[in-house]
Amino acid sequence: MPLVDPITMASAVTKKGALSQTTTIEPSSSPTAEPYNLLPVSINQTPLAQTLRHAQPLLLSGVLALGFSSLVKDPVAAMSSTTLPLTVGLQAAYAVVCLPVAGRGGNDTAKKTKPRPGEKPSKKKAKEGGNNAYVLAVLSLLITALVTPFVYVTMVLFGAPLLTHGSHTLLCAAHLSLLGLFPLFYVHGVDASAWAAIGGFRAPLDETFGGLVGALLGAWLGAVPIPLDWDREWQRWPVTILVGIYGGYVLGKVVGGTLVWGKKF
Amino acid sequence: MPPPQPTPKKAVPAPDYKTLKAQWEAAKRKKDAEDATKKAKEKQEQQQQPTAELNSDEIKLRELRRAALEGRRKKAYKSRWLWTAGFWVWMLAVHLVGIGYFTSGFLLTRLQLDDKSLCEVPPTAGEGDILPAWSGKGTVEGGCWYPKTFERAVVVLIDALRYDFTVPVDDNAAFHNAFTFMYETAVKEPNKAFLRPFIADPPTSTLQRLKGLTTGTLPTFIDVGSSFSGTAIEEDNLLMQMKEAGKRVVHLGDDTWDSLFPGYFEGNLSRPYDSFNVWDLHTVDNGVIEHIFPLMEKKGQWDLLIGHLLGVDHAGHRYGPDHPEMTKKLRQMDGFVRDLAEKIDDKTVLIVMGDHGMDSKGDHGGESDDEVQAALWMYSPKGIFGRTKPDFATPPATADIRPVNQIDLVPTVALMLGIPIPFNNLGRPIEEVFAGPRGNSWNNLAAAERVTAAGIKQYQASYYAARGMAEEAVSTPGSPADLWNKAEGLVSKGNWVAVYSAYAEYQKETLARCKSLWAQFNIRNMILGIAIMGFGVLTLLVYVSKGAEDDEAVDDPELDDAEKSLEIMGVIPDSELPAADVLERKLVAAAFLGAVPGLIGGALHAYLKGTDDYYRGAAMAALTSIATVGVSLYEIKETLVTLLPSTLWGWMAAVFTLSQSIGFASNSYTIWEDSILMFFSTTFGFVTALSALRIQSLPDRYMAIYHSVLFVVLGRLASSSKLCREEQMPYCTSTYYASSTSSTSALWQLAIPFAVSLILPTIIKAYLQPTRSYEGLAPAWIGYVFRTGLFMSALYWVLDAADNGDWIPNLPDKTLKNLSVYNAQMVLGLAFVAGTTAFMWAPPCVSIVTSASKATPTRAQVAILGYGNAHGARYLLLPLNFLVSLILLSKPMGGGALALLFWQILSLVEIVDLNSLSSTPIGPVMLAILGSFHFFKTGHQAVLSTIQWDSAFIPLFTVRYPWSPMAVALNTFAGQILATVCLPLLVLWKASPKQKGLLGDISRKLGVFVAYFAVESLATMAWAGHLRRHLMLYRVFMPRFATAAVVLIVVDLVGLLVGLAGVRVNTVAIGEVFGWAE
Repeated sequence: MPLVDPITMASAVTKKGALSQTTTIEPSSSPTAEPYNLLPVSINQTPLAQTLRHAQPLLLSGVLALGFSSLVKDPVAAMSSTTLPLTVGLQAAYAVVCLPVAGRGGNDTAKKTKPRPGEKPSKKKAKEGGNNAYVLAVLSLLITALVTPFVYVTMVLFGAPLLTHGSHTLLCAAHLSLLGLFPLFYVHGVDASAWAAIGGFRAPLDETFGGLVGALLGAWLGAVPIPLDWDREWQRWPVTILVGIYGGYVLGKVVGGTLVWGKKF
Repeated sequence: MPPPQPTPKKAVPAPDYKTLKAQWEAAKRKKDAEDATKKAKEKQEQQQQPTAELNSDEIKLRELRRAALEGRRKKAYKSRWLWTAGFWVWMLAVHLVGIGYFTSGFLLTRLQLDDKSLCEVPPTAGEGDILPAWSGKGTVEGGCWYPKTFERAVVVLIDALRYDFTVPVDDNAAFHNAFTFMYETAVKEPNKAFLRPFIADPPTSTLQRLKGLTTGTLPTFIDVGSSFSGTAIEEDNLLMQMKEAGKRVVHLGDDTWDSLFPGYFEGNLSRPYDSFNVWDLHTVDNGVIEHIFPLMEKKGQWDLLIGHLLGVDHAGHRYGPDHPEMTKKLRQMDGFVRDLAEKIDDKTVLIVMGDHGMDSKGDHGGESDDEVQAALWMYSPKGIFGRTKPDFATPPATADIRPVNQIDLVPTVALMLGIPIPFNNLGRPIEEVFAGPRGNSWNNLAAAERVTAAGIKQYQASYYAARGMAEEAVSTPGSPADLWNKAEGLVSKGNWVAVYSAYAEYQKETLARCKSLWAQFNIRNMILGIAIMGFGVLTLLVYVSKGAEDDEAVDDPELDDAEKSLEIMGVIPDSELPAADVLERKLVAAAFLGAVPGLIGGALHAYLKGTDDYYRGAAMAALTSIATVGVSLYEIKETLVTLLPSTLWGWMAAVFTLSQSIGFASNSYTIWEDSILMFFSTTFGFVTALSALRIQSLPDRYMAIYHSVLFVVLGRLASSSKLCREEQMPYCTSTYYASSTSSTSALWQLAIPFAVSLILPTIIKAYLQPTRSYEGLAPAWIGYVFRTGLFMSALYWVLDAADNGDWIPNLPDKTLKNLSVYNAQMVLGLAFVAGTTAFMWAPPCVSIVTSASKATPTRAQVAILGYGNAHGARYLLLPLNFLVSLILLSKPMGGGALALLFWQILSLVEIVDLNSLSSTPIGPVMLAILGSFHFFKTGHQAVLSTIQWDSAFIPLFTVRYPWSPMAVALNTFAGQILATVCLPLLVLWKASPKQKGLLGDISRKLGVFVAYFAVESLATMAWAGHLRRHLMLYRVFMPRFATAAVVLIVVDLVGLLVGLAGVRVNTVAIGEVFGWAE
């Protein structure tokens, strides 16, 4: 019975891609990551939180509408002086008022027993004292600012101008991280396994994750009208992307927080 | 590539094979024996019975059985391969018929009329004349339709003489202010010379232009295909009229004239020269210049002297306009025309013109402004030229001001020389020639314009009659008939200025009508072609999805091994191998059965109806054949619903393919296709990087993320190689050549191929090492032979640059050219001859290591390094051969892009493997997108003018069939060809010798891959048909369709002849060593 013997070909080769086929190969003991079970985020139940939750999409749309004409004329000036500061304020307020602090709220029940590796002490404190929500919001904004360059690089990889329009793209990237990533930083901190779940699209849909998915899709679709030869002012880089980000975020957030809340991909 | 059969050749690499196989078998036997004794002992212990030891007879018997089984499996594999190849031949035929049929309806055709103009019958006969009768009226001696001005004409055609080359321009470009003579004379002596922009009707290829310049009619697109063969002009034309009138025509230069006008020229005086040696800037020009001056002394021996010079055009093709060679060439032309003008007497007119311009790269063929704007200069010491307005005295500063159409030359020359205007003419007389020295001979102008217009009217009537169409009613205001009546009404009033402009108005309107009239498509053929392509795509998709279900049957190596060993032991009877009911065999049979009635029906229909369209039989055959194949696929199982994508990856593949196809309806998305393709490939990399987070094993996860990031970054890096099309301006900067107005590489670009030869082999090694596959032939071939090939291609481009730039001035003529060509031939020989031989006879990239087992030191342990990737590592040698030759043929920047493409493909294969995407269509679709993306990154666009014709001269000195077209094809479609050759890697990579069903899997992956290109070709076809009246049809949609159609055929051919054939060779080689899995 030569052919079923391990020395020839059988067992070790069954997996496509085994390195070389020898008897010495042990069952792989390489480190593996357990799938991580996140729970969807629920919005705080206070009346203020519930109001702001519904007002925020309208306010964001208002910010965009307000800045649109100047955005078309001079994107950099409009983004840096109008839309970005207003959105920072709105998002920070939304996070502090509506979202559960990292480690609290909807998603902590699953892992209360386990210490989370990436968690910072400040967030642990946040569990006890609600006032630390402000600290957390500032910290999350800081992290958002730190990841913005990476978002910028991603945009360049997607075809954004490499050598020109640097500030255009960077400001656009700042908007994307502020809308899509900031609420998630606020809710999940920098917990590596939570982010692995989010990145792998295994997180359940809620207002934060839905917003991210929406903002990404919106940014992607925002590139569609750019090549058209309509010679419109609003085709200027990165106006369409920015509109896509806002539109996608608002839509994703609303739908994620209501219709498909708790569902997974 | 032929399958490996000849045994004598096998003798050379046999040792390698045999030793490997011998080692393998020895190890196996040893193990067998050990096992047998062990088992026997166990049995003895258990049952306490003496058992007969396995004697040697039994072993021999098993060996025989095994050999027989192997033989059967091999035979079955080969027959299955043949049926699969048969299916792909059928698919190719369907694509050919579909494309051919659509094209036959889409390419415009114009009815050619055989009528000839006659000297004694002017078209204005029987009506009041504007001019009083002149002596010799109605004869060639006096002037047939108009008093003759000149006895003789010298026509100098400087190919690709763009208008701005001839007028002063305030900059330092190499092509400006070098050719000044014509402008100077026109300014200094306006009565003796004039210079005007001369607008060509596209397509701007020389053959089409010569037709227009002699017949005065508009060429239709169908002629462009004949540019390389050249066919005689049968319509009435200037040369025919000259010949009829007994005049003698002499021709010097470009031999295209000879093929258009065979037997027209004075044999003993004419000198034709080969026109397609783009590399050669001087032979034609020097020949013309050498022979034209002696002829100027023999004026009695000719009436029309044509000199066609090619140097400017060739300099443009070879270097681009902004190059010192172009300055030299234009200076030479300046001196030549200066000298020639001195020899012109009062009875002779000298005409110097360009037949088309050139784009910023020095190429032409399309209809961009730079390509259509040529220059026209006429000169006669007689001083008869005039201007109707004083402002017209200075030649226009740019070609947008006061241009003349190239067809206007035809009536002008005819009336000047006193011959009748060719029957098909649509042009009008050029004002300067008839306006008189003081610019006020309005009666002459009116007479010339009227006789020309009358000719046009006559032609229109004949054309409508021949087509059986009714002319537009006089009552429609602005219609040609209405304009004509108005003009005729003015004649009696004697206001010649008004008469002149009224006839001019008529001519203009008629020309516009003709332009749209000759855009008459055969809609029925177009729809039939689209239908064939559409159903072909559908069948292909069903085939792909169908096969996938079959595959789920049994793919368990252990079970197979058990079965195999039972067969060998004789426990179960020899299984009948399922060669007979291969899916492909059924399909091929169905295809033939289906084709027959269609073919007969179509032909019969044509016969009974008495129409000539027998080719319709092919279309019918294709349709019925697709129908039966479709039915037999449907019969087997499933509905079209299974075609809908069910996973994220399936959706991605569908969205990428379909959104691009829809985008082809818009000229913007067609123009920016390269950016869109990069956007898609980055999207894929982004999603796989995220999806990698779902991989459980951390090392695998990190590798998957690494490859995804690498894939995206490499793509973005490659995107820096750009050759912009005109429509992308000003948002695009070309980087493919040294500058946007050159077609040679910059010095720094020459370093790219050297970097490639240094780095690429090491990278490939790095991809092989994780599976321990850098064994066997791989180290020698990749590390030395492949690297040497790359180095030599790098060397080629240095030699070429040295030759172009004349770096070493004292070398004998052509030394560098000779060196570079032989060097290129050696690279191609290395890649295709040595490479193919090596690929056919190479042993698997594995090596066998015997060592003592760690657990039980007494037992021998055999390890086969590279076993897990035996198929993929060996197959990789084939794409490498293509890679070397494609890098050589693609110029330095393109070579870099191709190296990046190959790297990306290797990463793609890893991504597909690590994310377990092999069952989804995303792999082949991404590969197709990569191939298409790199079509743009190797200096091409979907326009005619970006074809790098000069690549034909990389391995050759002159045009030689079929090698020159092949070199151009390899250059043009390098991206797609490399992707197609790499396609089997998607299945073979990390496939061990025990993997079953590889062939079917590859054929289905090829199906997805081809489906991408077929959908593109279908979409561009449908859109080009739908937008056939669109302004951008010939500029955007039609070239994109042509590109897609040719790419589809190329991909079909390469997939079949290289991909599938290579897989067969590879599987046979692996099977010979490790036994047959299939």
